[in-house]
Amino acid sequence: MRLVVLACLPFAVHAQTFEADIVPILKSKCYQCHNAKVKTKDLNLTSLDGVFKGGESGPAVVPGQRDDSVLYRLVSSGKMPPGPTPLTAKEIAALGAWIDSGARSASPSAARKVTQHDVIPLLLLHCRSRHGAQKREAGLDVRTKASLLKGGKSGPAIVLAKPEESLAIQKLRAGTMPPKAGLLNAGVKPMSAAEIDKLASWIAQGGPEVALEPDIAGTAADPLVTSNDRQFWSFRPPKASPAPRVRNAAQVRNPIDAFILQKLEAKGSALSPATGKLTLIRRATFDLTGLPPDPQRVKTFLADARPKAYDELIDELLASSAYGEKWGRHWLDVAGYSDSEGGKLSADLPRANAWRYRDYVIRALNADKPYDRFLLEQIAGDELADYEHAPVMTPELADNLIATGFLRMAGDSTSEREVNFTEDRLDVIADEIEVLTSGVMGFTMKCARCHTHKYDPIPHRDYYRLAALLKGAYDEHDWITPVTTDRYGKYFPGRFLPYVEPGLTPFQALEREREREASDRELQEQVKALNTELKEKQEPVKKKILEQRLLASVPKELHEQLRTVFATPSAKRTEAQEAIAGKYEKILKIDAEDAKQADPAFRLQAEDLEKRIKLTEAKRIPEPKIRALWDRGDPSPTYILLRGSAASFGPPVHPGPPAVLMDGRAPFEIKAPWPGAKKTGRRLAFARALVRPDHPLTARVMVNRIWRHHFRTGIVKSLGNFGKAGVPPTHPELLDWLSTEFVRQGWRMKAMHRLMMTSNTYRQGSQLTPDLERVDPENKLLGRMPLRRLEAEEVADAMLQVAGRLDRSPFGPPDPVIARRDGLVTPLATEKGWRRSIYVNQRRTEMPSLFESFDLPAMNPACLDRTESIVATQALHLLNNGMVDDLARYFADRVKREAGTDPARQIDHAYSLAIGRAPNQEERAASLEALEKFSGIDGPGALRKLCHTLLNSASFLYID
Amino acid sequence: MWNPLTRRNLFGSVANGFCGAALASLLSRDVYGAEAAPSGPRVFDLKPRQPHFDPKAKSVIHLFMNGGPSQMDLFDPKPVLTKHHGEAYFDKVAADLTGPEQAGGLMKSPFQFAQYGQSGMWVSELMPHLAKHVDKLCLVRSMFTAHPNHEPALFQIHSGRTIPGRPSLGSWVVYGLGSENQSLPAYVVLDDPLGLPVNGPQNWQAGFLPPVYQGTRIRTNGSPILNLRPEREEPAAMVAAARGLLSRLDEIHKRNHPGQLRLDARISSYELAARLQVEASDALDVSKESDATRQAYGIGEDATDSYGRRCLMARRLVERGVRFVQLYINGQIWDHHNQLERGMRSASERTDKPVAALLQDLKERGMLDNTLVIWGGEFGRMPIAQLEGGLKNAGRDHNPRGFSLWMAGGGVKPGLTYGSTDDLGYEAVENKVSVADWHATVLHLIGMDYQRLVFDDNGLKEKLTSQFEAKVVKAILA
Repeated sequence: MRLVVLACLPFAVHAQTFEADIVPILKSKCYQCHNAKVKTKDLNLTSLDGVFKGGESGPAVVPGQRDDSVLYRLVSSGKMPPGPTPLTAKEIAALGAWIDSGARSASPSAARKVTQHDVIPLLLLHCRSRHGAQKREAGLDVRTKASLLKGGKSGPAIVLAKPEESLAIQKLRAGTMPPKAGLLNAGVKPMSAAEIDKLASWIAQGGPEVALEPDIAGTAADPLVTSNDRQFWSFRPPKASPAPRVRNAAQVRNPIDAFILQKLEAKGSALSPATGKLTLIRRATFDLTGLPPDPQRVKTFLADARPKAYDELIDELLASSAYGEKWGRHWLDVAGYSDSEGGKLSADLPRANAWRYRDYVIRALNADKPYDRFLLEQIAGDELADYEHAPVMTPELADNLIATGFLRMAGDSTSEREVNFTEDRLDVIADEIEVLTSGVMGFTMKCARCHTHKYDPIPHRDYYRLAALLKGAYDEHDWITPVTTDRYGKYFPGRFLPYVEPGLTPFQALEREREREASDRELQEQVKALNTELKEKQEPVKKKILEQRLLASVPKELHEQLRTVFATPSAKRTEAQEAIAGKYEKILKIDAEDAKQADPAFRLQAEDLEKRIKLTEAKRIPEPKIRALWDRGDPSPTYILLRGSAASFGPPVHPGPPAVLMDGRAPFEIKAPWPGAKKTGRRLAFARALVRPDHPLTARVMVNRIWRHHFRTGIVKSLGNFGKAGVPPTHPELLDWLSTEFVRQGWRMKAMHRLMMTSNTYRQGSQLTPDLERVDPENKLLGRMPLRRLEAEEVADAMLQVAGRLDRSPFGPPDPVIARRDGLVTPLATEKGWRRSIYVNQRRTEMPSLFESFDLPAMNPACLDRTESIVATQALHLLNNGMVDDLARYFADRVKREAGTDPARQIDHAYSLAIGRAPNQEERAASLEALEKFSGIDGPGALRKLCHTLLNSASFLYID
Repeated sequence: MWNPLTRRNLFGSVANGFCGAALASLLSRDVYGAEAAPSGPRVFDLKPRQPHFDPKAKSVIHLFMNGGPSQMDLFDPKPVLTKHHGEAYFDKVAADLTGPEQAGGLMKSPFQFAQYGQSGMWVSELMPHLAKHVDKLCLVRSMFTAHPNHEPALFQIHSGRTIPGRPSLGSWVVYGLGSENQSLPAYVVLDDPLGLPVNGPQNWQAGFLPPVYQGTRIRTNGSPILNLRPEREEPAAMVAAARGLLSRLDEIHKRNHPGQLRLDARISSYELAARLQVEASDALDVSKESDATRQAYGIGEDATDSYGRRCLMARRLVERGVRFVQLYINGQIWDHHNQLERGMRSASERTDKPVAALLQDLKERGMLDNTLVIWGGEFGRMPIAQLEGGLKNAGRDHNPRGFSLWMAGGGVKPGLTYGSTDDLGYEAVENKVSVADWHATVLHLIGMDYQRLVFDDNGLKEKLTSQFEAKVVKAILA
């Protein structure tokens, strides 16, 4: 809006004066940060004196010398102002000319007009926690001019034109509001004198209001993002070109091969020869299911000489339920899935209902839900259909709501402790924006939170447009916390919608809930009883330890006293006792781990009890809730936050997608999702624009991601950054062809797998020849299949499957882990074994150690791409860890059971289970020899040691 | 003959990832010695790297004091506070209090202060041992931070922002400089067997840096590194025979995959795993020190045994070329919301002697000049009393606006007291040092320019000081 005004500024060619020519520029572009009250860098530009005096870096203007004038240097280089509105070329020229002509003055400047946009954000920031959307103490709502005039119990909050008679000003000036003692708990800071003055002058001026002019991307020319900016490759819609002609047409099975081969041939190279069927089935099975192939299936595949055998294998793998569990994990990385809240504070509270979202993802992928629909549901499922007035919960409605968990995965500790500042909430929103932009749209907007993007055409403004899109659900001035809480006197509704099982009548649902509650009570009783048992067993051991410690290091006369302190719970101790407890902490602090170390018999009992407690707890069925994101219909206005600071407001913005992604012709329209809906429809409008077939990024980002998981590297290597700071595509035509093909085939991911995996490119061998090493050492042209290590979950799941201990039950609340005091975290088995890793509790501060060693990423807020590291902890874990050892034993038992006692047959079978093939001669000889050696040392443990070694071997851990 | 390969393949896939595992990491030893890739992507390993300029310090020992040590009771005497003892001050600080309902009046320090050494630095009676070494210290009394809660303040002091997920100072240091010992972790964390600090392992995370730069937690009792020893002991012959088989199988596998350098790296990671058992045990074995040394650190004395051991281990690790060692004490031993007097005496008693001994020991061995020792917490405390349990048990609430921190050795001006808080110790006022300034200064001391030590995170050039303005505090450099 202001820009439009500026663009029409009459530009003076006559003798410039400060007041006529410079003040308007400074006023709109610089005053916000450099005025008499807020003197950023100690600089006040509101008077000519201030300009000459300058700030931290010396005089802002040196008359006659534009190059010595810091102000000129900063604005002409674009370094200032930091907001989305740089000076236009004309303005810079005017400033230069004025400096050159001696920086003259004419007359005093006029007072700046204050509007509602200068004061409403202040009131929101400082008063809304008690007088806003959720709480209206004394009946007062400060969010609009009208509600201020209406006031509360004590009368109007403001009296127009009479600031000193206005209750708000009186209370603010007296410092009684906001009440000091409650500030920190409410997460607000007191208003500064300058801010109160601003409010007073707005009231004095009669409370002028200006209409919010739409500034959203549309047909009008956008001064910040030009059509030239949209010319960068990734901002133009993908355009399919026909598959290129290649010399060696025999190597082309589908267009992918032609695109790949073309670049190889240009370097005088070609695709590697096809790999053997054994390697192929192992590669394909791990890639699609994350599990090793079943030895029986390997056999039939090898025996099947029909050309279609491979295609059928792919279809079969795609139809397996394990597919969703493998590819669901890839998507959960993008979403930043976690079963705990994480965030800035330490409790890392459980996120009780996140697993419904995890299950949704797995089911959606198994059902091959079209990607456009998949995104619509996850970004705006709550606005797709009216769930509140639906007569019955349908599977579709339930999916819509559960899917919105996508934007509820960021770390968020705002329900955890007393302090919950606006800044903390803005950080949560920033993380969600990061998930949405980097993960789905392929560029980051992180930097635009504070300033205009340095590389990509993403103005500061566009970050806040996006924030406004989310504001119906994520409103820092109308916050809902992860968990329902009314601690510290504030009430936050939790982020839950009730879950009703699709198809149930309300009565049935009620019945179901009663049953659940009864079973839950029963299970809680069981847990309690087990805890009591554990405690009772522990007490005598602890007492024994205490006695030993007393004897060893405490004078006898103190023993009785220390015993008493030890026996008294901390809350019941006298002050003197507490003092003793502090002094003798090392003697008196005895925990379960100490008891276990001291008494091996107790250790066994305790570990058994602890497991039973965890497993009983895991049986509890959580309350039927959905961790959802939903529009609440009444968002606060959104202002650009200068430098990202919650307390520095710029101009208001309307919701809208980043301008560079609009075509500059069609306007972005937002309408209510259905007639009479109490929802803004903002996210739905955004999501629909995102899944337009010609969207420049949506399909490209996703096919690139699929490509990455089949070929180990993306066509665009930086999966989350298709912008100027990202890595350019190695095969741009292929990327575009795949993107258009993806859309043409109905956004079906399984079609993409089929396409990629049936190509000759995918079926190549992985041998690195000197020729390939010379031509393409980094394998950018994909003249061979890259070798890869199993991912963290694959390592775990493959070991379980090989050992015959993989419980394939899907879905539901996550499985518990047990954390040892030294930090070792291990998933807990039930009598059926362990389930797949995706079902293990993903608590941020308690991730299984094996996963972490093998590069399972921390979700901060999500993971765009995983690393593959080679570190000694991996070796240590596989060599020394107890669970790996247990699995080796199960593995050995299975081999014995299935292959009998003949060592050679045992070895062959162990190989076929673990590595999917028979050992070659050399391997067999080495294994036989070792098995004999093992038997000589420890007969019964010999086969286990062999199996353990196989689980450690490169053949097991690497895929060709 | 097979052509020698460039090293690029070896870590090709490590080099390009963006996410780090959250916890465990050791080191990935570079098996290819001095041969360096002339160009191409950065290899992420722990080989020693050239600093940006000549460093003053080669190693860092960070004595982290969790809880928020009270500046006006340790290093920042406030006679004016004594004079106004008991007067109301609530209105001035109310907005900063985590427990406003418990706020009392201004509270003088219960401890006596005196000046020590040539420098005449003020230290309270709580730290008699440290007082003898004030001429080695560079005391900053004008630190300030952003958040009044422990967790965000810990994130800030460790990693530059109040949010989790960013690399810690130690991770940046070893990312920038690598390590001089390839058989020990480059960044070692010595935590307290009694319990982890607030934020637990997130304090030494590598964030978006590759996991190889994460701190490795070394336990000072039991098995020092996770899974370092077999959970179930086996005859040595069995272990050896299994290792023999594994190397044969891996050798065969490698032969069938010529040129795949990551397979060599894998094999060497197994060799390193075996070597670590010996190296780590040796580095941590304080029984190899003289009785006099152990006594100086307070080993064998109830109050100081645990922390003394870790201080001595820190010296042994730094001596072996470990780049960054971080020491923690259980819980928040400096978080004295109540019973300030008793609590501070106890916390000081546990740490004062070992810390002083560490300074003396480093000095005597000629190591202090190239070792930077840092002592400090996440914020300071309020000049007013907090009355959870009546006046008798008074404590102080958190205060992010002013706190003290000292450094010694490696390039800081010894005997200097820098900056100040206001008359009451509430707010840093003169020569203020932000956490970002402090980070920039620490990096400077080890030879790194905080503006050039960057990591490309999805196209963003991330740095320790994040988006914040920072400056190297030149006045405290020697």
